[in-house]
Amino acid sequence: MAATKSQGRTLVLFMGGITAACAGGAFFGSGAGKAALIVGLSMLVASFAGGFKQKALEGPTAEKKQPLGLKLLGLALSLGGWLIMLVGVNVASATGGKLAVCLVGIAVSLVGVMGVLPKASVQGAIWKA
Amino acid sequence: MKVKKIKLMLGCVLAMVLLAGATGFAQSPTTLELKDTLGKAPTAETLTKGDAAGALTGTISDVTVSDEAAGLTLGDVGNQVGQNKIAINFMWTLIAGFMVMFMQAGFAFVEAGLCRAKNANHTYMMNFAVYACGLFAYWLIGFSIQMGGCGGALGGALGLNTEHTINLFGKTWGIFGGTGMFLSGQTYDVAVMVIFLFQMVFMDTALTIVTGAGAERWKFLTFCVSSMIMGAFTYPLFANWAWGTGWLGSLGDNLGLGANYSDFAGSGVVHAVGGLSGLGLALIMGPRIGKYNRDGSSNSILGHDISAVLVGCFILAFGWFGFNPGSTLGASGALRISTIAVNTMLAGCTGTFGAMLYMWCLKGKPDASMSGNGLLAGLVAITAPCAWVNTMGAAIIGVLAGVLVCLSAAYVENVMKVDDPVGAVSVHGTCGLFGLIAVGLFADGSYGVTGLFYGGGINQLVAQLIGISTLIGFVFTTSFVINWVLDILMGQRTSAESEVEGLDIPEMGQLGYPEYVLKAEPEVLLAAEQGAVA
Repeated sequence: MAATKSQGRTLVLFMGGITAACAGGAFFGSGAGKAALIVGLSMLVASFAGGFKQKALEGPTAEKKQPLGLKLLGLALSLGGWLIMLVGVNVASATGGKLAVCLVGIAVSLVGVMGVLPKASVQGAIWKA
Repeated sequence: MKVKKIKLMLGCVLAMVLLAGATGFAQSPTTLELKDTLGKAPTAETLTKGDAAGALTGTISDVTVSDEAAGLTLGDVGNQVGQNKIAINFMWTLIAGFMVMFMQAGFAFVEAGLCRAKNANHTYMMNFAVYACGLFAYWLIGFSIQMGGCGGALGGALGLNTEHTINLFGKTWGIFGGTGMFLSGQTYDVAVMVIFLFQMVFMDTALTIVTGAGAERWKFLTFCVSSMIMGAFTYPLFANWAWGTGWLGSLGDNLGLGANYSDFAGSGVVHAVGGLSGLGLALIMGPRIGKYNRDGSSNSILGHDISAVLVGCFILAFGWFGFNPGSTLGASGALRISTIAVNTMLAGCTGTFGAMLYMWCLKGKPDASMSGNGLLAGLVAITAPCAWVNTMGAAIIGVLAGVLVCLSAAYVENVMKVDDPVGAVSVHGTCGLFGLIAVGLFADGSYGVTGLFYGGGINQLVAQLIGISTLIGFVFTTSFVINWVLDILMGQRTSAESEVEGLDIPEMGQLGYPEYVLKAEPEVLLAAEQGAVA
């Protein structure tokens, strides 16, 4: 199955939801703003529920499930590298020290992005089957 | 009696002051000169005869007079000069924005040309629809997050005055803006509209990069939702940090690091954000059917129209003159635009040579698609440093980017096993990050930023690396998580059956080229497709 009318309706619901939620956020101080936010978030939830239901009706895709643990590890490394850099540049007083923690942070992130996550992706690839 | 005398004296003094003022005003050489010039201005009768040489049109008689009774004053002339300055800056920024908007056409040509004919309609349509998706989301909330605290520009926009901050390590850091949702209230302002238009087309460029990495297999519904989320949150957040008084723009003040994180026109903000988001998406979706063999070797899946690719590259190169020089946000008092424009074209030129000669020497042919990507790589890499480097630096940055894009494309495809049909990750991600490093190395100090090679030490380089770490560690991760959640909720990838058929009919309902008979896929792809559907 491919694009369908119900997918189109799901997109309408999503767009209506995000618009109402943003309007709610912009005018949150008023009662109408709070109501709009609730309506918007409900529409967003409904759109995702619709998308989930339609997904189940579609045929199989050319991918296998990627290992969850590896994916989470890759993301943790990627984010962890950034956090190392953030703390490091504030703690290190010398510019050379800041440079060093930046490079360490980037290296850790790259291990996650270029090493672990592609490995997770390859393990779930259909061409290996 | 005494009171009467004092009143009389005061009256005399007042009369003398008024008389002196009036006489002084009447005899002011400036006023006389203004009136004299006004008198010499061509009359309506003269102008009726036509101004073939263009020497008579636009004179002092065109200056708006605020008070008819007082006539033309120096104040009127001053106001007109001020408004003209802002008008020139408005016009330049708007025209540059229109040019950047036209880059969408270039992206559409490049991406569709590099895809197979059976996916042409779908690929063109993604590049077309991403404009609407991004613009809508940016108007709702994205602009507010990005520029809501920028504090004014272009002679106005003072309504953009709320930046939410946090206090960390004893310093204040900007996190996101807070005014400008729906462009309403105090942001219903002419200068804000210019900033919105210009920033919006930049945001849309980042979004359209992602469609290249997801080409030939991205479900259209999820593409629309993903693009709106990126235009509403992911892109604006990093853009705020870099350009909208966010924390990356305070590195100089807070940590003593050069001239802050410096990204003049968006190697990082636009291109690396797009490229890294595309990488995340490609990792989640996996490669196209038939891209890899069971032993891990890759097959090249050729695009259907190399002429569209090269025309698209030229359109993009043209649009880049809006992208980089337009980022001065003005032409009046910002004459550096000429240097920026020349640096931009030079880096594109040497980028083309870098890729073309690399491929020619390595593979024996000057590969057309990689030459096109080389042009784009040079342009992407010069986008951050274009205002701060000299022409020599621009040429070196371009050629390095041209070679880098070839190396990166091979690495992404053969080592990481990531299928990126148009090379978006390498062109925009890798070369975008390289452009940021180039600022810390090649900035020559003539325009406020000095890099390592020009005696600026490592301060600027460290500021750039902080930005790079944020792009890889935060932007990539956020984008990956968002697309992963969407994959769970809606599914990112079309069914194998649709993918084999080509996405034009299943997703769009119409072939891109209905009157042409599509050539059968090569043997190796056919076998993989049959296996995938079975």
